Amino acid sequence: MNLAPVLRKVAAFFWRDFAIARGYRGAFLLETLEALFGVATFYYLSRFVQSPELNSELPAGTNYFAFALVGFAFFDYLSVSMSAFDSSLEEARQNRTLEALLVTQTPLPVILAGSAVYPFVALAIRTCVYLAWGALLFGFRPHSANWLGAAVILAASILAFAGLGVLSASYSILFKRGNPAKWVVLGVSGLVGGMMYPISVLPAPLQMLARLIPVTYSLEGMRAALLAGAGWRELFPSIFALLVFAAVLIPLSFGVFGWALRRTKITGTLTHI
Amino acid sequence: MPGPAISVIALEKYFPPALTGWRALLQPISRATEKALAGVSFTVKENEAVALIGANGAGKSTLLRILATLIIPTRGQATVGGFDVEHESAAARRLFGYHTGGDEGFYGRLSARENLGFFAAMNNLSRSDARTQIASIAGTLGIQNDLSRQVRTFSTGMMHRLGLARALLHRPAILLLDEPTRSLDPIAASEFRRLLKDDLVRGRGTTLLFASHTLSEVEEIADRVVLLEGGRVIACESPRELCASTRTATLEAAVSTLLAHLAPVRRQP
Repeated sequence: MNLAPVLRKVAAFFWRDFAIARGYRGAFLLETLEALFGVATFYYLSRFVQSPELNSELPAGTNYFAFALVGFAFFDYLSVSMSAFDSSLEEARQNRTLEALLVTQTPLPVILAGSAVYPFVALAIRTCVYLAWGALLFGFRPHSANWLGAAVILAASILAFAGLGVLSASYSILFKRGNPAKWVVLGVSGLVGGMMYPISVLPAPLQMLARLIPVTYSLEGMRAALLAGAGWRELFPSIFALLVFAAVLIPLSFGVFGWALRRTKITGTLTHI
Repeated sequence: MPGPAISVIALEKYFPPALTGWRALLQPISRATEKALAGVSFTVKENEAVALIGANGAGKSTLLRILATLIIPTRGQATVGGFDVEHESAAARRLFGYHTGGDEGFYGRLSARENLGFFAAMNNLSRSDARTQIASIAGTLGIQNDLSRQVRTFSTGMMHRLGLARALLHRPAILLLDEPTRSLDPIAASEFRRLLKDDLVRGRGTTLLFASHTLSEVEEIADRVVLLEGGRVIACESPRELCASTRTATLEAAVSTLLAHLAPVRRQP
């Protein structure tokens, strides 16, 4: 398979979305301020959260604010993965560009992947803004961070989450609205994935459940890399687990998506709103 | 392109009934029982302009959407440029351009040039080729001075031209148009018809299959007419042959005569 034309198309999607976003410059400023409010809320909340159990679970030399900031900033990658693919379909149906896209020489999986690039790039910028606000105003100090390790964890997380996102898009393409799969994944991940607290504070059954979802490994790995400066040996279990999730979820999700796409072409509901 | 540009053989399409409430969850796997096409067969030769006509619900749009690879037929076969639209859809898509009259499928905040550039990339055109093509097609369609404007500021007529420009970007040998002059004012519609017949079919040798409710338009553009009724082909002749066989003076009268003859048949149980 020649990758160059696919990459050219993915780049075209990015520039399309960038050009559209450029028309709403005020939104970028507001999002930056929104991030400041979010970070400030965590900072003041963290000053009241004191627990010996919690402190024993935090990486050495760090505090709850840094723990929660990383959890909050990187949980967003799951949220965006779960919505980027089906939102792109929904938007294309709404503005009636889906039919025009489907008669081009670009297969739907490339349309989906291309449409998800800009949201992820925008999210990466937002993550940097979160961390920057934390560092500038509230004493977040990732001095010993293993940035390369964090980047590898992030890439493996995006691959694993993308599988879930494509499964979510399969539901969306079949049933158009309301997506219980998305809310179940986000709800369960938010509860047991360790976004705001270490999973060790959860009851044993929920801790077992936490081990079955990718976001747990993503946040553990990210905190280890950013807050404790963990080396490759310590990061390996998280990276390996995320790659296993990706290896299972990506082929499964594309299989399900292919079936869903064929069914909608049979029922004639592909472009229905 | 050996053989006919478009070939439709015993094509059938059934849709599942529309379900509501909780039963809508079964829609993707429910049985297709609603007939849209019932054994349609015809061919379109290279460089021929053929019109699909018939009442609402006759199956014109369904047929065009099958040829455009947007719907999978229930039975039968359809090929575009020799490629099966179900099993060789990617190859078929290289050969046709598709445009519907109610087409708004553009990004309103982007300029016409940015929109066309994006869809050119989706059709595998290189950046330089896209620039050349956009300039050339915009000149032909008379929108060269509006390429820098945001599409949301376009009138309906301009939007139609832009839609046709998009369908022509990759130099398709075959054009599939669904009611191309719907919602155009009479002058714009007349100009659009001239463009189709003179510039595209005669000038560029494009094969044209279009659906229309405007019979004067069909008489002006089409070499042959496929009259559909209830998902079946009732007639497939040139407008002149249709008038001769029904002993009428106009296509409108010929179609009325043919459909009137069908009415008693339709009333039978």
